[in-house]
Amino acid sequence: MIRRRPFTSLFLLLLLALLGWVWHERVNLQAFPDIIAAYTAKEYCSCRYVANNPAAYCLGYVKQYLPTSAFNDNPLRSEVTASGLGRTHTARWLGERQGCRLNP
Amino acid sequence: MVKGLLCAVLLLITINGHAETWPDQEWAKGTPLTGAALDALDAYAFAPRDDATRQGIRTDALLVIRDGKVIYERYAAPTSASTPHLTWSVSKSLMACVLGVAYGDNRFKLSDPVARFYPPMKQHPTVTMADLLHWASGLDWQEDYEFAPLKSSVVAMLYTRGRADMAEFAANSDTFSAPGRAFRYSSGDSNLLSAALKGMLGHKAYMSYPWDALFTPLGIRNATWETDADETFVASSYAYLTARDLARVGLLMARDGRWKDQQLLPRDWVAFNRQAFDNYKAGQDEATPGGHWWLNQGTPRPWPDAPADTFAALGHWGQALYVMPEQRLVIVRYGDDRDGSYRHNELLKRVLAAVQP
Repeated sequence: MIRRRPFTSLFLLLLLALLGWVWHERVNLQAFPDIIAAYTAKEYCSCRYVANNPAAYCLGYVKQYLPTSAFNDNPLRSEVTASGLGRTHTARWLGERQGCRLNP
Repeated sequence: MVKGLLCAVLLLITINGHAETWPDQEWAKGTPLTGAALDALDAYAFAPRDDATRQGIRTDALLVIRDGKVIYERYAAPTSASTPHLTWSVSKSLMACVLGVAYGDNRFKLSDPVARFYPPMKQHPTVTMADLLHWASGLDWQEDYEFAPLKSSVVAMLYTRGRADMAEFAANSDTFSAPGRAFRYSSGDSNLLSAALKGMLGHKAYMSYPWDALFTPLGIRNATWETDADETFVASSYAYLTARDLARVGLLMARDGRWKDQQLLPRDWVAFNRQAFDNYKAGQDEATPGGHWWLNQGTPRPWPDAPADTFAALGHWGQALYVMPEQRLVIVRYGDDRDGSYRHNELLKRVLAAVQP
């Protein structure tokens, strides 16, 4: 089999290795897509409402190599929502001392 | 009578001659730095900023205090003197100060098992408060922020799986070493300290403790310290202070834990902060860990151009509070360095050159 179909064999072997890795890292992989939306919502919220920086500056400050697909800053509620990689997260400013926190 | 009066006048002069300067509502101003060395400092810290590539040294704030007086202060917009700037891991050393007050109140001993104050640590019953303060819990933690986001414990803790209860997330880690044997820098260890403090004080007292114990006595009025959903202060990452307020903590540390006539942190606590962790191996990190502070100790010294008694609180993207007790200097540097080109040693060298009379 290996000698007759070297490329197919190699492909199957790599696929097996990949599946093994995916299984091994399943917890991390499942959480991974949340990072960009959660990071953007939380750090923008703090940049804007804790450090009181201008909105345009905070947008640049939270920019990462992964893009966000949607973003909303609601100044009336001091609430920031960001989406990316199919996940959406919201952070809210709670007060002077406690600053911002991601919603559960 | 005349002799007595003379004595009193002499005494007054002597007292004033040795009077220490402390910040009141505002910092006193000293003689501002000038000259070529100052230009060299400015050129290094405040090089032209490129917001498109975000490369290079990007200082947001630089504040130098000597003898309790401001001798240099500069900001890069939008950061200003009134901006409570994110300190990232400088927060860890702030938590060490808060814990120092609790230590002075006999709330805990360094040899106490953390599990006594924080039951989820019963999984690791022999980890002590000193082990956490040395970042030597032995818990298997991956600190990398940006280069290994999939495996990063700290990213998972702050933004995904751990964010609801960061201390519990850390307590649920596996171990890689016996406690106290090996250094491994861990934001998890710092948040376990925060949860242990909550256990000592109870939830209500804990929620105002950083202000009651540290910020208010130091005259810090604009501090924010964010919490996780379990209302535990994110001691690893999320304290916000103005540069001027962070410098107050620096002055407290420069003067051995004393604020005016009050010994806020016990002297032996500060000595513990400033004593290198025995089992640290040179080169494991950018400076030598003490008790939740970074020390300029070891061979070679991490910052060879700074005096050996220099110690610091350091945070992600270039946040730093440097303390040089012998030089009577406190330096706050906030930044937004995205490429790691900033060098502590270079900044300290240029500050020291600029302050020499």
